[in-house]
Amino acid sequence: MRTVIVGLGNPVLSDDGLGIHAARALREVLPADEEVDVREAYAGGLRVVEAIAGYDRAVIVDALWSGEVKPGTIVRLSLDDLRRSRNALSLHDLDLPTALALGAMTGLHVPPRIEFWGVEVGDARTFSEFLTAPVQESLPVVVAQVRAYVASGFTAQAEEACA
Amino acid sequence: MKRIKIDPVTRLEGHGKIEIFLDDDGNVAETYFQVPELRGFEQFCVGRHAEDMPVITNRICGVCPEAHHMASVKALDMLFGVDPPPAAKKVRELLYMAFYVTDHTTHFYALGGPDFIVGPDADPRERNILGVVRKVGVDIGREVIATRARNHDVIRMIGGRAVHPAAGVPGGWSKPVSEPERIVIEEAARRNVDFALFSLKIFHDVVLASPVYRQLIESGVYLHRTYSMGTVDARNAVNFYDGMIRVVDPDGAEFVRYHPREYAEHIEEHVESWSYMKFPFLRRIGWKGFVDGPESGVYAATPLTRLNAADRMATPGAQEHFEELFATMGGGTVNGRRRPIHHRLATHWARLVELLYAAERMLELATDPEITSPDVRIVPTTVKGVGIGSVEAPRGTLTHHYESDERGVLTKVNLIVGTTNNAAPIAMSVKRAAKELIRNGTVIEQGLLNRIEMAFRLYDPCFSCATHALPGEMPLTVSIRDPRGGVIRTLARGVPV
Repeated sequence: MRTVIVGLGNPVLSDDGLGIHAARALREVLPADEEVDVREAYAGGLRVVEAIAGYDRAVIVDALWSGEVKPGTIVRLSLDDLRRSRNALSLHDLDLPTALALGAMTGLHVPPRIEFWGVEVGDARTFSEFLTAPVQESLPVVVAQVRAYVASGFTAQAEEACA
Repeated sequence: MKRIKIDPVTRLEGHGKIEIFLDDDGNVAETYFQVPELRGFEQFCVGRHAEDMPVITNRICGVCPEAHHMASVKALDMLFGVDPPPAAKKVRELLYMAFYVTDHTTHFYALGGPDFIVGPDADPRERNILGVVRKVGVDIGREVIATRARNHDVIRMIGGRAVHPAAGVPGGWSKPVSEPERIVIEEAARRNVDFALFSLKIFHDVVLASPVYRQLIESGVYLHRTYSMGTVDARNAVNFYDGMIRVVDPDGAEFVRYHPREYAEHIEEHVESWSYMKFPFLRRIGWKGFVDGPESGVYAATPLTRLNAADRMATPGAQEHFEELFATMGGGTVNGRRRPIHHRLATHWARLVELLYAAERMLELATDPEITSPDVRIVPTTVKGVGIGSVEAPRGTLTHHYESDERGVLTKVNLIVGTTNNAAPIAMSVKRAAKELIRNGTVIEQGLLNRIEMAFRLYDPCFSCATHALPGEMPLTVSIRDPRGGVIRTLARGVPV
């Protein structure tokens, strides 16, 4: 089973860089002998599908902005959550479900298991290499959750992984 | 006044919002196209070493990092007073052509093309690349994926890193291209040429052959007779990497031709209280509002305007298709110059002509005997203190302007990005679409959303770096408001109302 973790974000746009910070931290803590690759990606849709193609399982970590929960809140999302929307996440790329469907149609090996971790942003509009305090506090929690989840072979519940 | 609001309510800060104000008769009075502000880029950069900028600026955008990298290294060449060796310029341009092939391919098949190949009024669930694949065949999907993959490999090979190149340095490039790499790149370029020709054939067979689409392209919906901007070489052929900036007037006469470092003498930025985005215009003509014509300083910088501003394409296949485009869509010649094409939907066709040019130019460079020269860098020894660099980004002329102290520490940073050039034309196209579909209080609902999206898409705009959003929702909501601002109706896509 080949697993990939993709941290998504812009490392110089405050909390938008959460996924990149998480990827870098995960690279440090994951044992080198595990069959887990950690990647960074900066744009959604096809780029993400290209990053996870060829793997059996994928975890994607990204910053989210819902405006409905407190900054730093960790949100687990399923692929179905993403499928509720058919609209592009980016004016320049496909939304992820469409990109995944294209990958499947054209014969790319798309992981059957894809899990998402999101963290609600505080500020994703100011150019900075640093996360805001609430998101910074959530970073080690997300890293621990993803690490435990991957170590469990994608079986642990997020809450258990959190503990 | 009634107000219609189209607000993409996503996590994503980088997307635009459109407000449409109606008059008392229910017709469009004004449209406002807004983008949220990204703060503090200049403060983020000032105080850093100038030579860090090619890697920092390629992070400000997940869509065209290669364009920022190139404009940035060119600005550094000037700031450090060094002219790179010819091989270094060719290596830079080679990477840049691979990037162009990827970017234009993605735009045509995933974003712009579905409106034409699947149909402008098709169900949004079909009007995407999956619909294209269903209509044209699964092989086209495989080709799009394969084209992206082989060009990403080339970018990684030359640029040192996938997506965000790191190899550009003041005075040249940090590593030469080896002969085994060159062989791979040449093969990729050949396949790119075939793919570009195939894409133009699809455009012919599916789009141009259909009276419905022809009518749409040639209709007045997005017709704006503005000035056209593009970068040209010594023979006035389109060039993406280097040259002079040429602007032609709405009838095609050369208005000005200047070196990119003189941009501030020719371009001024208009500010509106309702927008964080600035609206560049031609200084000598002046800002006359969101209007077209020779009296208005509004210009556009897109694939179509690059072709309008040039006299020719520098490669044979692209030249052939360039001539066909103008023979089909153009209005003949005036004083020996082709009349520009002002039907903005023709931008999609122009983008494919550029795709072929990028592929052919990539092949020329990949087979250039000098491309594997080890002489790719001159190490700078001075700091001049001012650096201005410019390239044609896929979505318009991109300018980086840096100033530094005598140690090379930045004191000022100004960028004019591709999309900014088109801020006023985008606003004008959105307004035109709104006027077309809102008449006397009657709103054609499905058509309105899509025609406004088509207005955006033809410019391929990029509002910020934050384009990687999950969960991938970009809902549009349209609120129609009565003269007191109360919502009387809401249309939405992708979001529960």
